[in-house]
Amino acid sequence: MSETTKTVLIVDDEPDTCTYFSTVLEDRGFETVTAGNGAEGMACLEASMPDLITLDVTMPEKSGVRLYREIKAHERWKSIPVIIITGVADDFEKFISSRKSVQPPEGYLAKPIDVEKFLGLVDELTG
Amino acid sequence: MMELPYKDYFDAVPGYLTVQDRDLKIVTANDRFRQDFGDFEGRYCYQVYKHRAERCEICPVMRTFSDGQRHSSEETVTCVDGREVSVLVYTKPIRNGNGEITAVLEMSTDVTEMKSLQARLRASQQRYHTLFEEVPCYISVQDRELNIYDSNKALKETFGRCLGRKCYEVYKRRDEECYPCMVQDTFTDGKRRVHEEVVTSRDGKLLNVLVHTAPIRNPEGEITGVMEMGADITRIRELQSQLTSIGLLISSISHGLKGLINGLDGGIYLVNNGLKKDNPQRVEKGWDIVLRNVGRIRSMVLDILYYAKDREPNWETLTAASVIEEVRGVIADKAAEQGVALMLNLDAETGDFEGDAKAVRTLLINLAENSLDACRLDSKRDGHAVTFGVRGGIDHVHFEIEDNGIGMDGETREKAFSLFFSSKGGEGTGLGLFISNKIAQAHGGSITLDSAPGKGTKFTVSLPRNRPMRDEEELEFSDLGVV
Repeated sequence: MSETTKTVLIVDDEPDTCTYFSTVLEDRGFETVTAGNGAEGMACLEASMPDLITLDVTMPEKSGVRLYREIKAHERWKSIPVIIITGVADDFEKFISSRKSVQPPEGYLAKPIDVEKFLGLVDELTG
Repeated sequence: MMELPYKDYFDAVPGYLTVQDRDLKIVTANDRFRQDFGDFEGRYCYQVYKHRAERCEICPVMRTFSDGQRHSSEETVTCVDGREVSVLVYTKPIRNGNGEITAVLEMSTDVTEMKSLQARLRASQQRYHTLFEEVPCYISVQDRELNIYDSNKALKETFGRCLGRKCYEVYKRRDEECYPCMVQDTFTDGKRRVHEEVVTSRDGKLLNVLVHTAPIRNPEGEITGVMEMGADITRIRELQSQLTSIGLLISSISHGLKGLINGLDGGIYLVNNGLKKDNPQRVEKGWDIVLRNVGRIRSMVLDILYYAKDREPNWETLTAASVIEEVRGVIADKAAEQGVALMLNLDAETGDFEGDAKAVRTLLINLAENSLDACRLDSKRDGHAVTFGVRGGIDHVHFEIEDNGIGMDGETREKAFSLFFSSKGGEGTGLGLFISNKIAQAHGGSITLDSAPGKGTKFTVSLPRNRPMRDEEELEFSDLGVV
């Protein structure tokens, strides 16, 4: 891999979604790492620093909300841009905006995603 | 000269005045009598008043002649024009200088109008009483000590005996006064109040009731009682609850669909992109994703249909071993894709049972898919397997589906069969296990689960060999002395 290749961590409990996002991003020249829940996502973060995280909200074991709060509360990871991609994006936005102590995420996308919009946002946040 | 004014007074009396001798012959009468009953000279009172040929059986005039006392009675007399008049009759003896009774003065007052008003009042009271009794609300009237001193039929039928009892005993089966108490508050300030309460009927059923209180005042304006009227809104609350469930269902379905469409988009992307780049592996991978998500949508739609219709099972005789083998066949491809082994562990003789083939199949497929998901979500081990078992009991058939997947924690175990609860994040609608449980119950059976995180889950579905009798069938048998 070249030095400029950026890495995206995809956290989603739906394997088909992980396959979809990783294929799209790899076609765009990104490296991807996938995790099936919040706990696995945290393990991936501890192993390596991604340039961007896409995060689902409703997941077993550790939800996206908990993982997001941990990321934004941690000195090492809080500057990593996060795109929340979920069927309940509006609810998540309302929830996070009601918690003034929590920094809002860098992007929201509702499932099913618009691929062009998704790639545009990823490019913007990793550019 | 002095006689004339008395004759005038006699005639001016607003009633019928007669003087009768011992034979009941009318000696004299006033103008009013003459107007309504015509000529009386030489005639007897019973002839004139009642158009009778003989004396009446009970005659106040005869009684006065007999005992010298005043008497009264209520009579109906007939005027010369045939009009019937209700009269109140008073009699008084007329004595000579020796104190002997020589005649009787009879005064009759026309009370026809009053009788008519009394009859209308009685009818009106009866009408209001009927309304009070029959109104489809619970009505009670309490005194300041909260004793019920009046109640209607609906209250008695639903809550049993209530007169003389405390309202809190009758409505809420409480030993002490409620706080706050709307009845006491209305006694205090005279204002009407409305509040929703949950009360308990005589047969222990909880009812949602909308209660109104209103003061009852005496002519002086003092509050002597408080009327409590309760409208049963249980059905409305149930409908609201169902509407809430429908709302949750729609929200759950739309959330699930968003994930499934996203998966389909992914599959289509891989297929298109694979075709463009001439990459058959990518096409194949994409097509698998498409098929999987179409299958999930199908399964979701079937679950929704089952939820939407509360249907009676279509009973037929099924062979337990065949049913489980069929279910195993249905999910075999999916299990192979995931690398999950499917095992079969049947008793030698499992026998037949009565059930709805389609519903039982849905039930077991839901459980089997749940087990496959549990294996897929478990990244901590390889070598996943789902074992299908059937145990043949005397009265029941027990189907077992056991996996060594992710397992359930306490909360998930507790809520596993609840509507809209899913531990599978965006993938689950929270319908599958709920529907399975509903099907088992419709068959008179049950589902139990044994699960622990990291160890796996075992579902046991126990279905009776014979379909359960419905209540009315049981009653019929009971009447025949069979049950």
